[in-house]
Amino acid sequence: MNGRERIKAALSIQEPDQVPVYIHGINEAPIIGIGRHITDGLPDPKEFREMNDREKGKLLDTLFLIHEHFGIDGFTSFEIGHEETVDTEHVADDWGVIYTRSIHGLPVATGHPVQNPGDIDHFTPPRPNRNHLLLLDLGRDRFKGEKALFWLMRGTFVRSWRLMGMENLMIQMYDHPEFVHRVARMVTDYSLEQLDMLVDAGLDVLVVEDDIADKHSPLISPRQFVEFIKPYNTELVEKAHRMGLKAVAHSDGNLWPLLDIMIETGYDGLNPLEPQAGMELKKLKAYCGDRLCLIGNIDCVDLLPDGTPEEVDEAVRQAIADAATGGGYILCDSNSLHPGVDPLNCIAMFEAAKKYGARKS
Amino acid sequence: MEILREIAAHVENGKNNEVRLLVGKCLEEGIGVSDILNNGLVAGMSSIGIRFRNNEVFVPEVLMAARAMKSGLEIIKPILLQEKVPTKGTIIIGTVLGDLHDIGKNIVCYMLQGAGFDVIDIGIDAPKEKFIEAAQNHGAQVIALSSLLSTTMSYMKEVMEAVRASEIAGTVKVIVGGAPVTQAFADEIGAHGYASDASGASEIVKRLIG
Repeated sequence: MNGRERIKAALSIQEPDQVPVYIHGINEAPIIGIGRHITDGLPDPKEFREMNDREKGKLLDTLFLIHEHFGIDGFTSFEIGHEETVDTEHVADDWGVIYTRSIHGLPVATGHPVQNPGDIDHFTPPRPNRNHLLLLDLGRDRFKGEKALFWLMRGTFVRSWRLMGMENLMIQMYDHPEFVHRVARMVTDYSLEQLDMLVDAGLDVLVVEDDIADKHSPLISPRQFVEFIKPYNTELVEKAHRMGLKAVAHSDGNLWPLLDIMIETGYDGLNPLEPQAGMELKKLKAYCGDRLCLIGNIDCVDLLPDGTPEEVDEAVRQAIADAATGGGYILCDSNSLHPGVDPLNCIAMFEAAKKYGARKS
Repeated sequence: MEILREIAAHVENGKNNEVRLLVGKCLEEGIGVSDILNNGLVAGMSSIGIRFRNNEVFVPEVLMAARAMKSGLEIIKPILLQEKVPTKGTIIIGTVLGDLHDIGKNIVCYMLQGAGFDVIDIGIDAPKEKFIEAAQNHGAQVIALSSLLSTTMSYMKEVMEAVRASEIAGTVKVIVGGAPVTQAFADEIGAHGYASDASGASEIVKRLIG
């Protein structure tokens, strides 16, 4: 089987020849740190925007090389080119959301253009832009069907709160619920239109990235989730399925109170299964392993930054023992390979997946 | 007193207009501001805090309750100051340098305000000097550090060291919290307290300076 077939089998709760491996997200520093073990000529770690064209090309090529060298079965792509620099510390996306840059990861949304019910009457949403799918095009052309192509699409909750501000969104659920629905409708229409472009571009797996929980509990109640989020994300999942794609939900945190609702939504897989948030693989496998492919759980908070390669090897062995029997498990870290992870531990994770992941029967 | 119980219930249910009306009525009836604060507003926030901790309510309900509590507090605050009603203590809170996340820190703010403390929020991306300066300026008893990222969590150690080396050493307690933070980390950097959630933060502060 090739990587694409492995991923598709796992998402169909079938057992591939080898437990598939996936990188959901990876920053520049770990690309460079891991890349130095397989290629030369990489720059010192710095942000993509600070690199010259040669360094950017090298970084991207190294990302592809990491997938090829370590047998990563799925390639993640996401929108690029939709942001403009406002000043040295801020960027704006094509919705008018302002983000403050951070040296510790992704920029954080700090300026919100649709805060009051009246704002939406004067707000013109962007249209999906085919040029923003460049990373998907590059992945498709590089891997030529050997690896599953994933796309990270912001879900209804994330898109809505970025437009409205998170606390404001939550208060508007009480003060002006119809306003929250109007915003959700607007962002979903955008996503549905973008999905057509993604299918034409060769996508395999839609990841609805909709972080909605902290390590204790969901941020909003199951009732609010059913009212304001589920109907819209269901539209994305159903359309993805009609177009032959698999659909994966991504949210950090403790999702147990929302799990049945997410299964009802129709997702094929769930990522990233944070161990610190009670998302225990063994328990999840027993509860819904026959309905949902489990993706993730290798701890990127403590283990990948501060553990030893031997400890990583053991965690991978345990994860595969807990979740891969009968299929329906994709090995991945518990959120992303962020600037704090130790590259040697990432390599240990990839290698252990191959060591322990071969189908037994 | 029934009217104070009503205020508490309206705070808990996030009914800010009702809270405002009833607080006004209390003042007309000559009910003391300490009573309104402690047996009305603080009692309501305490109840929502317990329900939040038990996953019976979620962040939106805490925000609604906090808004209701603040609408009452705004009315009595000038009188509290005028009558020099002693506060339970002053807390400086912020998300540490490099970290731009604020909702967790904000929820802790609301819980601490709702417990009757004076809370000075110095915002996100806050350097150690800002925590120390704010603590000096406001005569704070506690500094509360928040971090969402494991990569920014390490800065808490620098804040601890700066506090120990400053003039406020020995007069201020430091508590830490946030998604990646654990009791073990708090112990390692010598923090005086750790809370795994917003209600816990309020309990820790009460224990440290109550």
